[in-house]
Amino acid sequence: MIAPAAAAADPVVQIQYDSLARQHATARLGMWVFLGSESLLFAGLLALYAAYRFLFSAEFHAASAHANLVIGTVNTYLLLTSSLTMALAIHATRQGRRRRTVLFLLATIALGLGFDVLKTVEYAGHLSEGLAPGGYYAYEGLAAHGVVLYVTLYYLLTGLHALHVTGGLCVLAWLAVRARRGDFTPGAHIALELGGLYWHLVDLVWIFLWPLLYLIR
Amino acid sequence: MMMPDEPSESHAPSALGYLMVWAALVVLATVTLFASRAVTGDWGLVVALTIAAAKAALVVACFMHLAGGRPIHRLVFAVAVGFLVLLVLGILADVGTRSFASSYVDDLGRAL
Repeated sequence: MIAPAAAAADPVVQIQYDSLARQHATARLGMWVFLGSESLLFAGLLALYAAYRFLFSAEFHAASAHANLVIGTVNTYLLLTSSLTMALAIHATRQGRRRRTVLFLLATIALGLGFDVLKTVEYAGHLSEGLAPGGYYAYEGLAAHGVVLYVTLYYLLTGLHALHVTGGLCVLAWLAVRARRGDFTPGAHIALELGGLYWHLVDLVWIFLWPLLYLIR
Repeated sequence: MMMPDEPSESHAPSALGYLMVWAALVVLATVTLFASRAVTGDWGLVVALTIAAAKAALVVACFMHLAGGRPIHRLVFAVAVGFLVLLVLGILADVGTRSFASSYVDDLGRAL
């Protein structure tokens, strides 16, 4: 019936599938459905953003000038590059290059960590100025209602995104360990592929957050 | 029933292909940065979102292999993006028409 897991590297076909290919196809479709629902998680906040930016256009404009454009922009390039290293990690696995896969995964993790570190520096800078969300807002230079809404949405959107980056980093670390152990073969590396899809979605969300929050002119 | 399971090797970009996509993304990000200075106001938002959509299309099509993958993946993703756009447009239609819709609602109230 089903072959026992003779070695860690042997992918196991679950009982409900007639082949490993079919099992992977199902996993891939499930991942796309998950990514679709993730997009809709951000959609709620983006809809709020659209409404408040429409109603408080001048305040969003003024508040956005206080966003840290340098850190926001560096983080954009970091995430774009991490998407490249992730794609190259999977490419290396397809060619059967285990060492290269691990190196590209480690590079992706380093870039993601860099993003989180810069985000923390950015948050600390804003909080020390009093640019805090909701009722904690205490920045004296800008006191309009719409500004507080921008700042609160800034924390909600970037905070939710940063949580996704951090979650993605945990997945990447687990994938790096498995890749080093030799779990992934050119024909069977579905976990690596799905982890990669998740990481690209994190990049995708930031592609929109960057102009919406940092580049209002 | 036959179905193409894996985006086959021929569909997946080569390492050079990935590098070129990344270069295009970096160029587009830099264009966004300069465009935000050159084009301001409502058109600035339109330009920024158009470039962001182009970058997103590159990531989804090439890095996420949606271009060479199964059609059902494209359908699932398109439905999610479609609902996102519907939600945002619906909310904008609400806040964008309040100025004259509210007076209509007030008139209704007076008539009753």
